[in-house]
Amino acid sequence: MLRAVLQFICPVWLLARWPFLKEKSTYHLASGVQQLENSYSHFNPARIRSCFYPRLLVLLCFLGMAKVAAAQGNYEIQVYGADTVPPKNLMVELHSNYTVTGQTKVIDGVYPTNHQEHETLELTQGINDWAELGFYVFTSEQHGHGVQWVGDHIRPRVRAPDRWHLPVGLSLSTEIGYQRAVYSPDTWTWEIRPIIDRTSGRWYFAFNPALERTLHGPDVNQGLGFSPGVKVSYDFTAKISGGFEYYADYGRLGAFDALHDQQQQIFAVTDLNLSPKWEINFGVGLGPTAATDHLIIKGILGRRFDWGKKSAAD
Amino acid sequence: MINRGLISRRRFGALSGLAASSALVPAPIWSATAPDVSLQIAPCTLEASPKHRIRTVAYNGQVPGPVLRMRQGQEQTVEIRNGSSDPEIVHWHGLFLPSEIDGAMEEGTLMIDPGASVRYSFKPDPPGFRWFHTHTFAGKDLTKAQFSGLHGFLMIESRDNPGSYDQEIFLALHDWSGHFEGGDDGYMNPVYDVSTINGKMLGFAEPLRVKQGERVLMHVLNSSPTEVHWLALAGHSFHVVALDGNEVPKPQTVPMLRLAPAERVSAVVETNNPGVWVLGEVRKHIQSAGMGTVIEYAGASGKPAWTQPESLIWNYRQFAEPETTEEAGGEVTRIELVFDSKFQGHGNEELWRINGKSYPHTDEPSLREGQRYRLVMKNQSMDDHPMHLHRHTFEVRRVDAGPEMRGLRKDVLLVPAKTTAEVEFLANNPGRTLFHCHQQDHMDRGFMMVFRYA
Repeated sequence: MLRAVLQFICPVWLLARWPFLKEKSTYHLASGVQQLENSYSHFNPARIRSCFYPRLLVLLCFLGMAKVAAAQGNYEIQVYGADTVPPKNLMVELHSNYTVTGQTKVIDGVYPTNHQEHETLELTQGINDWAELGFYVFTSEQHGHGVQWVGDHIRPRVRAPDRWHLPVGLSLSTEIGYQRAVYSPDTWTWEIRPIIDRTSGRWYFAFNPALERTLHGPDVNQGLGFSPGVKVSYDFTAKISGGFEYYADYGRLGAFDALHDQQQQIFAVTDLNLSPKWEINFGVGLGPTAATDHLIIKGILGRRFDWGKKSAAD
Repeated sequence: MINRGLISRRRFGALSGLAASSALVPAPIWSATAPDVSLQIAPCTLEASPKHRIRTVAYNGQVPGPVLRMRQGQEQTVEIRNGSSDPEIVHWHGLFLPSEIDGAMEEGTLMIDPGASVRYSFKPDPPGFRWFHTHTFAGKDLTKAQFSGLHGFLMIESRDNPGSYDQEIFLALHDWSGHFEGGDDGYMNPVYDVSTINGKMLGFAEPLRVKQGERVLMHVLNSSPTEVHWLALAGHSFHVVALDGNEVPKPQTVPMLRLAPAERVSAVVETNNPGVWVLGEVRKHIQSAGMGTVIEYAGASGKPAWTQPESLIWNYRQFAEPETTEEAGGEVTRIELVFDSKFQGHGNEELWRINGKSYPHTDEPSLREGQRYRLVMKNQSMDDHPMHLHRHTFEVRRVDAGPEMRGLRKDVLLVPAKTTAEVEFLANNPGRTLFHCHQQDHMDRGFMMVFRYA
């Protein structure tokens, strides 16, 4: 329990020690600390998905959970909101993430993340007023490797209907998919992601305590991993929100990794609420632990398409 | 529970009272005489359907409240007892009453404490279909104020009522079980689980029974706290004769009615298409939430039929006379009013403003008795607003940047988003006069102002 508490409060400490940690991680990598290197090689797209239309803003703070990023896939970096895409609507999103400072070596046959450009196409179709189905195409572009297909995931999601009148938004997402071994040794993975969010005045809070399981790959016997995501944002104006997103991978449930082997990332983000049909998110993230890509720039551009033929009476 | 206001003219006579003046009656006199109208405010349970039981507050234990009939100019003594746990007030919507009893604390009417009673008398005017309702604050509690069952019909009989109809039916449209939800506009708005006509969901009220060849006069009230409603009667049309209780210059036959919150429509339906029909909300999701009732012809049976309209059709202009050159002129003082809102976060409702200020900080324009005023209402917001002027009737002069028009008298006008509407009224009823959006959540968020007489 004490360890868990410490892990939740240490991001502040980690950030404060950023220069030191950066040096230390370099040292570890140079000396071939295998555990740390392995942590880089996992495919673990931490994601936080705000509502399908950009609505709330993010403010940070949850410095409360820390975990050393052992591996940050950085294909879809998004904290999920509880809303689902309405029926007869298709949400098309493009996630563009560039790792400015990441792993520079090939480890276990996995390409380094440094200077990788990831483009992820996400298609989400609304099923009804409480369910949606998402599909991902992950790609990567990197000098020397060109544009590569990385893998695909499928993601059904349900939420508590509005008629339940819950004080918070509640949703449950599950995701299963494949990724090539040169991008992740764990080629088949499964994730279940509870989603809790709430809007209060100008503030927005979202918490995604995700659990992950490797179905095929070196970590197949590792059990469930805990990868929380948090978003806190603030509405500066009706159209501009800003805040923080936090992503982590603490390692296996019941036996969290040592702090420096966990993934920790904090993004300063902004959401532009220009139209109910558009979603625009931009952020810069720091990974203060040795196992995390240290500097990432991310962007999300989404457009909602309404297939329904509606008359005024609808 | 009253679903049909078929009070006879004889019954009207019994309700019409004795009364004194338009003033509060001292308490010691009470016990000596019975009031003409007695309203008891108390909690009750509305059974909209067997599966939808709603705890609310109502007048005389029924939703909607009783149909009150009064004779124009004939004094009425009203006694109101507040058996609820909150301070209450009764607004006599559409009447020309003194501020002290009009029923708005912003005008100076006193609230009625829980357990207390008040008695006063007045001479009802003008004639027509009015209503009475609570005028309190709800805030985030979507069971209070206009979200509750505190509303009822008030018919002020003209001295020379033509009465050209065979049957008279009163219908109240209302929405229940509201909760705030983020909308596509990015703001929190009330949405509702249950919608009713006369307190019942479609299929759970006794059918309104008619005979072939009748002229049925329907008095429809939208008592919803926030929602505009569209109403159609399958197989029939409406011949609109009055809006907000005032006869229209040009009666029109229309396929459907539109009523903003607090608006009333009086329309004659000719029962010339025998069968069993649905009278219901045109929009599917609201009718499926319960807003509908059944009209059943004598001798007809079977499943109620509904014909789904594909468009929403309504405009005020069709009921008004066009402006003519010779009618123009006269001294009219313009009062410019700009409506907008201030962003309060996507998790909040907006703060509503008139000329950049929210009540109680809004301006109090001074009116001179006998002067005619034109309110130029520029709605710069993204929402439509049903604007209501207390204690006066206004004439609609222009809507949606169209040409001038005349003769359409109302007390509520829906001003669509991003449009300008103009109304005129004669300042002939001194006293503080409230002007506000009749959407309860907008009122509660500052969308009010008071006119005062110099």
